[in-house]
Amino acid sequence: MRRLTTTPRSDWQSRVEKIGLTYHTLADGSPYWDESAYWQFSAAEIDRLEAATSEIQTLALAAGDVILNQDRLAQMGIPASAGPAIRAAWNGEPPALYGRLDLAYDGTTIKLLEYNADTPTGLVEAAVAQWYWLQDCFPGSDQWNSLHEKLVAKWKDLKDYVIDPVHFADVGTEEDGMTVAYLRDTAQQAGLHTRRIAVHEIGWDAKGLRFVDLDNHPITTLFKLYPWEWLLKEPFGVHALETLPPASALQEYGPRKDRRAWGSMLWIEPIWKMMWSNKALLAILWELNPGHELLLPAYLDGPHDMKSYVRKPVLGREGAGIAVVRDGSVVEGTLTGDSSDGYVYQQLASMATAGGKTAVFGSWLIDGEPGGMGIRESTGLVTNNTSRFVPHLFM
Amino acid sequence: MRKSREVPLTLLAIVALSITACRDEPQNCVDAQNHLLPSGACQSGSTVPGAHYVYGGSSGGHVGDAVVGSSVSRGGFGGFGSSGGGGGDE
Repeated sequence: MRRLTTTPRSDWQSRVEKIGLTYHTLADGSPYWDESAYWQFSAAEIDRLEAATSEIQTLALAAGDVILNQDRLAQMGIPASAGPAIRAAWNGEPPALYGRLDLAYDGTTIKLLEYNADTPTGLVEAAVAQWYWLQDCFPGSDQWNSLHEKLVAKWKDLKDYVIDPVHFADVGTEEDGMTVAYLRDTAQQAGLHTRRIAVHEIGWDAKGLRFVDLDNHPITTLFKLYPWEWLLKEPFGVHALETLPPASALQEYGPRKDRRAWGSMLWIEPIWKMMWSNKALLAILWELNPGHELLLPAYLDGPHDMKSYVRKPVLGREGAGIAVVRDGSVVEGTLTGDSSDGYVYQQLASMATAGGKTAVFGSWLIDGEPGGMGIRESTGLVTNNTSRFVPHLFM
Repeated sequence: MRKSREVPLTLLAIVALSITACRDEPQNCVDAQNHLLPSGACQSGSTVPGAHYVYGGSSGGHVGDAVVGSSVSRGGFGGFGSSGGGGGDE
């Protein structure tokens, strides 16, 4: 693989705006969507990344069973009150739409950095903007990106099991709003009716014991771009659990009776994603699969004998609170913070670097299947909300 | 071929050109027992436990008054996301 520079389309801003990437420029005026470069892969390299994604997904599924069988939710900082609902959802298999593995890949080794399983963003960039960029600039090339088709297909699968309209909730930031608008678009292309609601507008009807929209209509299916760990800490968190099995009244979904186990309101993503979006998963995966070629050593109780490692809050988001230690010295962030939820200590990975940037490869899964890739570049080692998105192709 | 055959957009393109509409409904900030609180108790950064908005209903208009007539309360989600960072994870 290699990183190549190229001349951006002269009107790239207006082009990406028209297809939903309105947040293409960072606060300092520099591009967030950066098409002055692209990553080129061989088909064999894409095959490896895809196979690695499938393998890690298999490991994560096995880890979920272990976490529940060994009652390790408390170790992950997950509140005990959520345990029965997580267990019931894991066994009932309500719909899970999407997720993103962040991978380190230096051209030789592929390693899991983390699993954004609950509320990943960067989807408009990966599924839409880089597809249109490819059509404009390299129409004869291929791209690992069938995200759009897979999303529409997943919603079609769900048509028998969800009750229209499907509500989509976000907090109203531009990026989250466009992410949700895109997911609504894919649902509507599958034939579902959708409605948007802001997270803070979701109502609780104390008489009907149900969540309602702004017209006080019951919300029966809710896609929420809002993490479960936040939902459960907020005043309505107790009500969220009341809509889930085993606390909720049974409700049948579609032709399959076993879908009664989904609860009185369908949440997408399901609550069991708390196990995978939690960075303690990284240590549990390593414990269960020591020496696995796709995993980095990771521990919850300290760095052990690692001299170069990354300390991440187990519930950290967007790079916040991360410290990087190389050869015993802090080179990025700080170790002075104190996360009440705990940390995971993960060996520093060998990363792809080019043009003064470090690249992280976001491998998307739709319905548990690999579906495409988005690449983020940072000037440091930590990917955060100022890291640029760079498109890719393969030959 | 690994790329999507086509990526047609309808809603996304419309939203990209539009401004998200917001409603301006009467709201009251209340505690867990539906007693009226100062409005600041429901705003970002508040540490008042259980503070949330209810829409509709009526009260005497004084802090501590019970708000009656509405079974629907809102604002019980979204507090963590109100700091501006959003709910998604890049």
